[in-house]
Amino acid sequence: MAMVEVRGVRKVYRRDTQEITVLDGIELQVPEGEFVALMGPSGSGKTTLLNLIAGIDRPSSGQVVVAGTDVGALSESALAAWRSHNVGFIFQFYNLIPVLSAVENVELPLLLTSLGKRERRERALTALKVVGLADRAHHYPRQLSGGQEQRVAIARAFVTDPKVLVADEPTGDLDAKSAHEILELMETLNREFKKTIVMVTHDPRAADRAHKQHHLEKGVLVDGAVKTGAY
Amino acid sequence: MKYLPFIFKHLRRNWIRTTSTVVAMGVCIFLFCTLQSVLAAVNTLLEASSANRLVTRHAVSLVFSLPLSYGSRIQSVPGVKRVAITSWFGGSLPAKKEGKGDAAPEATTDWSNFFPNMAVEAEPYLAMYPEYELPPEQYQSFLQDMRGCLIGRKLANKFGWELGDRFFLESFIPPYRKPDGPFEFVVRGIFDTDPAKYPGTDTGIMYFHHKYLYEATGRNVGAGTYAIEIDDPDRAGEVSKAIDALFENSDAQTRTETEKAFAAGFISMAGNLALLLNGIGLAVTFTILFVTANTMSMAVRERRTEIAVLKTLGFSSGRVMGLVVAEALLLGVLGGALGIGGSQGIMWLLTSTPGIRDVLAGIGLTELHLQPVVAALGFAVALFLGFVAGFLPALGAYRARITDMLRTV
Repeated sequence: MAMVEVRGVRKVYRRDTQEITVLDGIELQVPEGEFVALMGPSGSGKTTLLNLIAGIDRPSSGQVVVAGTDVGALSESALAAWRSHNVGFIFQFYNLIPVLSAVENVELPLLLTSLGKRERRERALTALKVVGLADRAHHYPRQLSGGQEQRVAIARAFVTDPKVLVADEPTGDLDAKSAHEILELMETLNREFKKTIVMVTHDPRAADRAHKQHHLEKGVLVDGAVKTGAY
Repeated sequence: MKYLPFIFKHLRRNWIRTTSTVVAMGVCIFLFCTLQSVLAAVNTLLEASSANRLVTRHAVSLVFSLPLSYGSRIQSVPGVKRVAITSWFGGSLPAKKEGKGDAAPEATTDWSNFFPNMAVEAEPYLAMYPEYELPPEQYQSFLQDMRGCLIGRKLANKFGWELGDRFFLESFIPPYRKPDGPFEFVVRGIFDTDPAKYPGTDTGIMYFHHKYLYEATGRNVGAGTYAIEIDDPDRAGEVSKAIDALFENSDAQTRTETEKAFAAGFISMAGNLALLLNGIGLAVTFTILFVTANTMSMAVRERRTEIAVLKTLGFSSGRVMGLVVAEALLLGVLGGALGIGGSQGIMWLLTSTPGIRDVLAGIGLTELHLQPVVAALGFAVALFLGFVAGFLPALGAYRARITDMLRTV
């Protein structure tokens, strides 16, 4: 069963009177438990496709069905609620809230649940333990290295136990060692926690960690799924 | 409530900006509360005025007195029922003589216990002031004693004075001072009032015989003002004109007005406080509105990425908007609390600092305090300012698209 289904998706942006087609007739299926990499040059539409899968943008036409839900058919507030339960987003620049400690950042998505304060905190600490940062729980983002920040961001992404993790260049701002650790962690989440992962990357070494690679060029998927060595 | 720590943390992010905004809003609410309290006190004072009483004073200024001969001529004006001389004595207790008739005459003035005191023509004056309730035997006792005085219940309680007690007052007005030292008074009556029937009537005042003042100063003083009772309140304007017309061609022209207008004018001698504070208050309120709005706009602008992250995590646009508005409201709460606290503090300071308190008492403002309704209104204004200031930036956060905000990182 496909966790993510992209059916004939087109995305057009308007700039003044000009229409710019960013994605054109995308067909994509990501089975449950798959780790997929989206690759392609800048401006090829990778991030736009990722945003559509994550439900933070809507297609101009076509359908994006994630975990059985037609994302484009949901209202704004329903879509927000859907995101909080189904998608964990990992950003290139981590995007932690600087005034919150690591554990508070991880706890943030749990504020949208009905969990009590203590349970929220326990879950956030558990998530930090999974990413190996239990001892940095009360550190603020400015007190963490880039790799550690990204690990906190990953903990924040999976703390609500979403079905899909989407990552936009998760290693793009990291040195090789930190990037390696982050990719290890993502593999662990995929393998042990059965998370479906869709990752945008420019880095071939990062893409090699995925089960499949899809290449985009000028808004079009140029090939079928390419199996990687990890698959 | 679970978002409160989150909101507080954001306010602490730029604590200098937050503090200055809170202080600015506090100043605004402080001004609002203080102004409204002063106005409330003035209104209470004015409410004690009667519609059928007029006051005639020197046309130029209250500083100048009127000839004593004016009394009988005013009495002859049709519509006038009673006329009584009233002179604001401006006496204060010599510190070494309070309640001690045998104290040394070279006593020093004690301004810390200043209270309003008036020299009046007792019989007509008390007849036109039914507000004061006085036992008949005390009234008779007062009339028979040249040095006798009447004090209100509040004064009696304040100083612990009882019937027969003596005390000394010395005026700061040169013509009302006598060479042999302060005036001696004997408490001959203590009057009360019915607050339900006569709200705003002050019993923190003292009356004594104008004749005593006249004789003791070598028959050299006039009448500060004339209190006039008229038959028909509807004819107040007509009677006032008739009285002033009587003295139109004399050296001391008069100005006659209703007691309420007179009281309002008397208070405004301290400066047009209401107009001044209203003007400042309004200007400050608008300024603070813009300052707070600017603060919130800056706060939202510099947090565009965070707002995008919150929305990505599943916070709905409405919830994000609520967080921004709540942050602005919290600024209002803090500013309001600061302003109300400051206003309460200044009221306490004004009514307990010797000198200032006496000046206020001299114009009848003995009851100056922050009323709960004014404090509540001040708090509401603070919340309103916070809400209005936060609404537009919050609306911007509401409308902003996640992808647009992430793209501007």
